[in-house]
Amino acid sequence: MIMVRGIVRPEKVADVMSALMYAGFPAVTKMDVYGRGKQRGIKIGDVTYDELAKELLMVVAPAKDKELIVETIMKAARTGGKGAFGDGKVFVSPVEESYTISSGNRQTD
Amino acid sequence: MKEVCAIIRMNRINETKRALADAGIPSVTAKKVLGRGTGKVEYLIQPDISTEFEETQNPSECGPKLIPKRMLTIVVPDASKDKVVQTIIKINQTGKSGDGKIFVMPIIDACRVSTGEQGDAAVDEQT
Repeated sequence: MIMVRGIVRPEKVADVMSALMYAGFPAVTKMDVYGRGKQRGIKIGDVTYDELAKELLMVVAPAKDKELIVETIMKAARTGGKGAFGDGKVFVSPVEESYTISSGNRQTD
Repeated sequence: MKEVCAIIRMNRINETKRALADAGIPSVTAKKVLGRGTGKVEYLIQPDISTEFEETQNPSECGPKLIPKRMLTIVVPDASKDKVVQTIIKINQTGKSGDGKIFVMPIIDACRVSTGEQGDAAVDEQT
């Protein structure tokens, strides 16, 4: 199994969530995060915004769905045709096992 | 080391923390998150409520609404993993959908900031 964590613009969350739903991944966890990227925040006039508000979406799925999830998130989270700075990142990490609390079932893939 | 990431119901957090502390795992990171699962959940508190107001419609049109949950992150040595998982399952299990999930992920290294200890020594309990 893999965990895909996508950091996206707050205004794109609804798009990404519905794209994931249509792609067959209804289970998503969302949390508010603040951060900066390699552009070192954003500078507007004399004011530098060091930490920008983003949303982190977390999806855990079988490893074979990795490409589909990453593509879905990237396509939905892009602004404009080619994308822009600040659209976010997608990270993929391994998950060894998962448990469903209501049934106690253990899944290893 | 293993990272145990559990997503549980909001009102179970205190019992879970108490049970984990009793089991010898007092260190927990908790965060409020929103999420949706695969299960079908009845969202309507008042089923006959009028839908002509904008607030009562689902604004995002992305299926089920997001439900508030608590996310616990616990990093433990390999040997304690099963104890953490079983404790969380025992406390949080109601048998209905919405009880949550537990994910177990590998952690490559850990470091205790105050002393600079690395590896398993950093996640062992401080005596």
